[in-house]
Amino acid sequence: MSIQVPMSSEAKPLDQVVAEEARCTQVDSVNLLAALRAACDWFELHRDAVNALNVFPVPDGDTGTNMLLTMRAAVAEVNGEAPPTVAEVMRLTSQGALMGARGNSGVILSQILRGLARGAEGKAVWTAQDLAHAFHEAAVTAYKGVMRPVEGTILTVIREAAEAAERANAQDATIVELLQQIHAEARSSLARTPELLPVLKTAGVVDAGGQGLVFLIEGTLKYARGERMQMEHRQSIVEHANAELLDSDYNYDTQFIVQGTDLDVETIRERIATMGDSVLVVGNPETVKVHVHCDHPGEALEYGISLGRVTSVIIENMRAQYEEFVASHQAPAAFAAAAAPDEQASSISIVAVAPGDGLKRVFESLGASYVVPGGQTMNPSTQDLLSAIERVPRDQVILLPNNKNIILAAQQAKAYSTKRVEVVGTRSVPQGIAALMALNYQSGLEENSAAMAEHCTDVQTIEITRAVRTVQVNGLSVQEGQFIGLLNGDLVAADDSSQAVITSILERIGIENIEILTLYYGEDVTRAEAEALAKVLSEAYPTLSIEIIPGGQPHYHYIISAE
Amino acid sequence: MTPERGLGKIEVSPRAIASLASEAVLRCYGVVGMAPSTVRDGIAEVLQVENCHRGVQVRAENSQVLIDLYVVIEYGVRISEVAQNVMDSVKFAVERALGMPVAEVNVHVQGVHISAES
Repeated sequence: MSIQVPMSSEAKPLDQVVAEEARCTQVDSVNLLAALRAACDWFELHRDAVNALNVFPVPDGDTGTNMLLTMRAAVAEVNGEAPPTVAEVMRLTSQGALMGARGNSGVILSQILRGLARGAEGKAVWTAQDLAHAFHEAAVTAYKGVMRPVEGTILTVIREAAEAAERANAQDATIVELLQQIHAEARSSLARTPELLPVLKTAGVVDAGGQGLVFLIEGTLKYARGERMQMEHRQSIVEHANAELLDSDYNYDTQFIVQGTDLDVETIRERIATMGDSVLVVGNPETVKVHVHCDHPGEALEYGISLGRVTSVIIENMRAQYEEFVASHQAPAAFAAAAAPDEQASSISIVAVAPGDGLKRVFESLGASYVVPGGQTMNPSTQDLLSAIERVPRDQVILLPNNKNIILAAQQAKAYSTKRVEVVGTRSVPQGIAALMALNYQSGLEENSAAMAEHCTDVQTIEITRAVRTVQVNGLSVQEGQFIGLLNGDLVAADDSSQAVITSILERIGIENIEILTLYYGEDVTRAEAEALAKVLSEAYPTLSIEIIPGGQPHYHYIISAE
Repeated sequence: MTPERGLGKIEVSPRAIASLASEAVLRCYGVVGMAPSTVRDGIAEVLQVENCHRGVQVRAENSQVLIDLYVVIEYGVRISEVAQNVMDSVKFAVERALGMPVAEVNVHVQGVHISAES
């Protein structure tokens, strides 16, 4: 079904092209390339939102980064001016995506682009009909890459979007109308992903890859409508920042461009690879872009200088960057914006109070935007809580005090804040964690705080610490230095070993009432000690499922959640 | 394989683990089939779906599981990324079902499948 359309005579000024686009029925190569770049830029603005959605198969939070790097590699394959035909633009971008594919979502995206490229073969320009056909090819190609397609993923979104394209095409749509239909269907398809994939529903999110695809389509649509992006397209195809740096052993992110003659990309790449990791060397014989994570940026630069003229040097300390990134990490808010189809309903940030690095990480991984350090022996002030509330990105905030002595300060912070704040009166860390589990980003503030308040009492809290003085309490005689156990805040057991205290409390609760025991061990306990304890307990109570997590809290040897 | 759980012994045969692993592999994007693990001379026949466990070798060492996978990959995907995803998914699926650590997942790409143009 090849349709012969006259080639566009020459590249027009972009503004003019954009203005014409609204009533346009075909896309030429200049527009296509600009649209792809716009899609990439739009995606970049939402990268963190996509990262925050990652739950499958292992929660690792890098789908957004992977898709962005893949998309950047795709558009970077077209150096400078657009080639004369859409076929050539798509051939190059699909090749770039293939070479630059990162992660599972990146591989699928590269197949989608490959399908679009198939749909472009032999075309100088795309009509609406061609574009609909290309989307069909994209869906078909994407599905060919796997034996058992998992529905409720990016695959479902591209398939349903392609079906919408075909329907719209049957109604003689213009390019913009077609993209609108594709975008609308992609969004509703995305909203349905939790119905198809239980793991998404459990986590209360939509599919990350699918969300990424929606953003790419959205960016394209925005370009086609003539909405100008707020940001310049970055020529740089490499990642400067943050999330991906977690796993790097090296200290410096080093980037530069070498200009020369007869540069051999392969040789340069091999040499750079000896200096560090995350090596990215791309370019042509005249210009080569180098990116490497290394400990001696000087070495890489010296090598660059030996090859030619070095420009655009960027050296950044990743360790420092990463620390900053962690401090300002606002994924849950972005998460909310991305997850809910209705943007109003989802703008909630979580502030939690927790002692210890380990517990801080636990809360952050469950979606807390900010964790105020504090607990039994170090109650944060109202001011501490207030500034935490003010610094999180959303105007609706749920505050989890996680200690009965902090609830009051939390209520005061609520009264002083200009934001809408709900305090869920969690009295312990396990209650706070149980409450967070009940959070649903699709629901509103009141609904969520009610649900969280209800669920936080599902768990029993056991805290183990040492007695600081000899005392008689609740009919117990406690010697200084003995281990004491608190059940939901009440002192109920004392003994010379922590294990005896825990056992006595478990018997008190009734072992038949407990299925899961989570031990957060404190800074005074080594992992080996915690593991030994878990082993003894699991031998004594074979029906229990026991998990140990480093909590890093001071004073309390163990904080235990029993449910 | 014998995960420990108090009262008695639970035995999981390598064959069961192989089925578990192959099921996870087939859901991995980019993998279009599995090849028998015994064919080493380069003639990679693609296994029927119900025989896919034959493309998996399972060994146990020091109560850890080691898995070798023999896969066929779709032409045109970036093999390194697909293989990495296969490793992660299989480790995750087997550990979740078995409750035993998976020490190694080795991916052997036995063939590349070129699907017909539509």
